[in-house]
Amino acid sequence: MDEVDTGQHQLSGDLPVLSLGNVSKTFAGTQALESVDLDIRAGEVHALVGQNGSGKSTLIKLLAGYHQPDPGSVARYNGEEFHLGQRDTSGFSHIRFVHQDLGLVLEMSATENLALSAGFITGTSGRVHWKEQEERTKASLARLGVDLDIRKPLGAATPVERTIVAIAAALTGWESGRGLLVLDEPTAVLPHTEVDRLLEIVRGIQRLGASVLYVSHRLDEIFKIADRVTVLRDGRVVTTKETVGLNTQSLAELMVGERVDAAFRLARSPVDAEASVLAVRDLAGGTLRRLTASVAPGEILGIAGFTGSGSEVVPYLLAGARPATSGQVKLADGKWHPASRLRRSGFPLVPADRQREAAVADFTVAENLTLRVMESFSRGGALSAKREADVVREWIKKLQIKVANSEDSIMSLSGGNQQKVIMGRCLAADPSVLVLAEPTAGVDVGTRQAIYELIGGLADRGLAVVVTSTDTTDLIALCSRVIVLSRGEQCSELVGDAIDEHSLLAAMEAGTP
Amino acid sequence: MTLQSVQESPAAEAGTTRQDVPREVSSRVWRTLDPRKVSALYVLLVIVVIFSIWVPDTFLQVATVRQVLNSNAVIGLAALSLAIPLAARVFDLSFAFTMSLSGVTAAHFIADKDWPVWLAVGAALLVALLVGVINAVVVVIMRVDSMIGTLATGSIIQAFITYVTNELPITNAKLFGTFSDIGQKDIGGFILPVYYVLAIAAVTWFVMEHTPLGRRIYATGFNMEAARLTGIKTKRIQFCSLLASAVVAGWAGVVLAAVLGTGSPTAGTPYLLPAFAAAFLGATQIKPGRFNARGTVLGVVTLGAGITGLSLATAPTWAANMFTGIVLIAALATTTVQRKPKTPGAGWRSRLRRS
Repeated sequence: MDEVDTGQHQLSGDLPVLSLGNVSKTFAGTQALESVDLDIRAGEVHALVGQNGSGKSTLIKLLAGYHQPDPGSVARYNGEEFHLGQRDTSGFSHIRFVHQDLGLVLEMSATENLALSAGFITGTSGRVHWKEQEERTKASLARLGVDLDIRKPLGAATPVERTIVAIAAALTGWESGRGLLVLDEPTAVLPHTEVDRLLEIVRGIQRLGASVLYVSHRLDEIFKIADRVTVLRDGRVVTTKETVGLNTQSLAELMVGERVDAAFRLARSPVDAEASVLAVRDLAGGTLRRLTASVAPGEILGIAGFTGSGSEVVPYLLAGARPATSGQVKLADGKWHPASRLRRSGFPLVPADRQREAAVADFTVAENLTLRVMESFSRGGALSAKREADVVREWIKKLQIKVANSEDSIMSLSGGNQQKVIMGRCLAADPSVLVLAEPTAGVDVGTRQAIYELIGGLADRGLAVVVTSTDTTDLIALCSRVIVLSRGEQCSELVGDAIDEHSLLAAMEAGTP
Repeated sequence: MTLQSVQESPAAEAGTTRQDVPREVSSRVWRTLDPRKVSALYVLLVIVVIFSIWVPDTFLQVATVRQVLNSNAVIGLAALSLAIPLAARVFDLSFAFTMSLSGVTAAHFIADKDWPVWLAVGAALLVALLVGVINAVVVVIMRVDSMIGTLATGSIIQAFITYVTNELPITNAKLFGTFSDIGQKDIGGFILPVYYVLAIAAVTWFVMEHTPLGRRIYATGFNMEAARLTGIKTKRIQFCSLLASAVVAGWAGVVLAAVLGTGSPTAGTPYLLPAFAAAFLGATQIKPGRFNARGTVLGVVTLGAGITGLSLATAPTWAANMFTGIVLIAALATTTVQRKPKTPGAGWRSRLRRS
């Protein structure tokens, strides 16, 4: 990378490329990172793992300069100290990022996208030399061992091609030798078949001498690609270890840790499997090709699967938020209806992406909480402020939401309390079935168990719950039965004690090539 | 940032410091007068003080109050017609053309077809509703961006008006009397349109702030996806907000034609900017961040008072537009700054989401 690097090329191989010491980050009273130490050696692929809320994304954002660290944090790049949280320091310009959403303009071609991040080659008049630009693009891609149509808009490219273009764009100006590339969940949106191609490219970058910080949820990939792995939990580094000698099971245990016992699960009495408040037959829509399932009152049914398996669509189909393309549904009346019926009478949903799909940021806690049930406290068409306050007070107490003033913006709450508000919104409508997607995403570990117990308590009182999560801990803790999906189809079903990290991952993997 | 921002707001620009409100006033009064919520009220106060000193003979008169309200009533109607679709995050740029169209329609049926006034006005409102349906189809069903879509329909409406009228205003003695009374009749020193503004503002205020429907409209505007997943019919809300907007704009057009006593094919266009200015200024008032009826009325009065004062002080003709622009930028800039800390990194997140 640039001229600074050539000078440091002779640095001893022992000197870490990136060295973080005592890095902390506090957000409005919650400690997202607590004195994190991290060394990345030259030429290694270093994996960073941790559950949602473990501080992974905060750490990446600190490196990328989006957040300021707390005082006392030290960062060195090739032994040279730099300021975290500043985007214009030399340290930053040497660390290259590919964020999960890639940051590409899909309407533009690979050439244009690379030019956007690397700068345009222009003549004296300011005209862009597209020919040179295209050659440069080809060279960048060739270095990664790929050949693709650089004139085609990226919207028409496959997901893995887009990821590769994003990597090429991030590596612009980097020649070879020491350097650090941060890949944040690069395979989250890739079909399983394309993951290997991406991993091959990561190895290629490693061969060119760079180090890679590889963030992923998919533990199997980490064993395929990473030399060492650092596990984050509750904002602290649990350990940094060689991947040799670890396996998915032991790594998962490190991630989950003691505080939420990996073995924590709700103690539930068995439900009457014959009874059913909701059943679907051959339900299809989006990536889901076929699902036949039934859920009984008091039952917590899990739907598991990797992204793209169809599991992520199920909650939205049940809520009527996405159209089902085929299938039937049996509702409380005991009759089978076409699945399109869900469009009208869907079930309350706690969506996966709280900020985008659930919380109304400009609304108060109270307004967010009562959004579904305003009719219950309106008289003659007018809202009664007093009765609304009663409803709000009742649910804040029931769900133990920590809030100073219900008239404050919902954004003033912690993630866990925001999630409780969204759950309260659904529960206030007194549904027979509650649909949860990623119930603990962005919820701090301390609150997670409270949310598990809350859901358990609701089920004990007869509520049927359908939950999907990419975090297997959720499913293990909550569910008495889990249906595992793969490529849009049901591939297995786990019941009771058979539900554990290992068997879930094994079942999810089993259906994929 | 909140208190400083007010000090840097138009009050400071106008050359005076913010009024000191005694600390011991009861909390209720304090909350109503919270400068973070009604900064325009303080700007208004500053305007009154400045012009009382500048032009003491002409400004400090009951007649001035009348003039401010009477001459801004049509702007008030137009601004209120925008508040509902804006709350649901839909722009209606066509409203000014709808105003021209409904005015011309009413004048045409009265002057050329000898229809009774009530029937002609009914026809004008029906035509406005039709425009609303077209807008809603273009924006909500055909999913054209509302700013561009209503700009286009506005252009088509103007073309239609020109085709029918040949760009000639409709004037006729029949337009005086019952019809012109709609806009000119004086009750207690104020013309009828002032009362229309109060009535429509009251209805809008009630619906937006005291009914489930209003809550749903705001939810749609703030986070459409979240609203949809909560079971709110967001499309229907946006559709109906455009209908409501068109009908109120149609009424504003009829009133304008009555005030002018003529059906002018371009009567509405000068209202485009002042109405948007008042609606946006209103969204920074009383319920900051939300387009709301009381804030809109306060916005209209504040801008109107400043402009009236400037004209009484025989300020140059460009001063009025300059004043509107500065107040609007100052108000929006300070409220944006106030809202930033609430959603840290929102800009960054939304930028990423789009890509």
